[in-house]
Amino acid sequence: MTAPPASFLLSAHLALLSLISFGGVPSVLADIHNFVVTRHGWLSDREFADYFGLVQAIPGPNMILMMGFIGWKVGGLGGAVAGAAAIFGPSCTVTYGAYRLWDRFRLSPWQTVVRRGLAPLTIGLVIAGGFVMARAADHDGPSAALTLAALVLMLATRLNPLLILAAGGVVGGLDLL
Amino acid sequence: MQAASNSNERVALGALFFGFLQVGLSAFGGGLVWLHRLVVERRSWLDDGEFAELLSFCQLMPGPNIAGLTVCIGSKLRGLSGALAALSGYLVMPWAVGLGLGTLYLHYADIAVLGHILGGVSAAAAGLVIATGLRLLAGRGRRSADLVFAALAFCGITFVHLPLFLVLAGLAPLGIAAAAFASHRTR
Repeated sequence: MTAPPASFLLSAHLALLSLISFGGVPSVLADIHNFVVTRHGWLSDREFADYFGLVQAIPGPNMILMMGFIGWKVGGLGGAVAGAAAIFGPSCTVTYGAYRLWDRFRLSPWQTVVRRGLAPLTIGLVIAGGFVMARAADHDGPSAALTLAALVLMLATRLNPLLILAAGGVVGGLDLL
Repeated sequence: MQAASNSNERVALGALFFGFLQVGLSAFGGGLVWLHRLVVERRSWLDDGEFAELLSFCQLMPGPNIAGLTVCIGSKLRGLSGALAALSGYLVMPWAVGLGLGTLYLHYADIAVLGHILGGVSAAAAGLVIATGLRLLAGRGRRSADLVFAALAFCGITFVHLPLFLVLAGLAPLGIAAAAFASHRTR
């Protein structure tokens, strides 16, 4: 399992996906599952699901961390670093180049129109993302109320959001949900 | 609302690195909430409009979105060195800490109380993400076309369950056309 070719295969595949995962890593998660579980059997179904749940519970770059865990399973620490780097390196390089080009035409009228037209879509997607998270986390009335309370506190106060999350953790830990 | 950022005032590379480090270490439920808080609310490096527009550019790019957004913000503020400072702040230490925490968690995963705590944190984190989206929407003033397109994108994901890229590809031409029409009319 710790043979170098496995890490290499994994990283090469992730680097390819990094370049075509338009819409973010979740859009190619099914393909990653297919590659590491079904095709190569490096992980079990259960482990893949565990890693996915795990990275939601840890602060930081979720998907890059998940590729780290998969890489670790496949090839130890080296595999973890390679897997993580493969998922963000290529896409960040492309994004940087594309942004430089995009920024050069920042003041042209057509780009102003494109930016204005796209921004509301993006905002709708952000709110939808929050709803998807809420649907996964809120399995009953009290947990939905907790989501709503966090929303209101975030909008109406200047509280540090970490405090809001900590309060959520306390409510959950006391088994009030 | 669309005030230009004061880009003459150079943001220090160290401020970028440590700001994004803090984002990486506190980013529960995705980095967007924390990125918006750092860049718009606390440091005023960008305004809401600029932030939303950068975010939409990054959503059209492949790969992890928040990492891409980090690169773009760093690049907008300080060029290549800014992009590298922001990205390394956001990634290196938080990733290592996450790997350590995760390994610990995998060992103690059967402890029920930990699961309960994380359930509460996730429920609260969802509220924070929705609130950040609403703030961005409010930051665009009251243009009704914006509300309509935000609502369409929202419904496409939430109720019709379309893949994200399909929603963007389908609605982007319409949104851009509406913006073109609006700017033509006001001219």
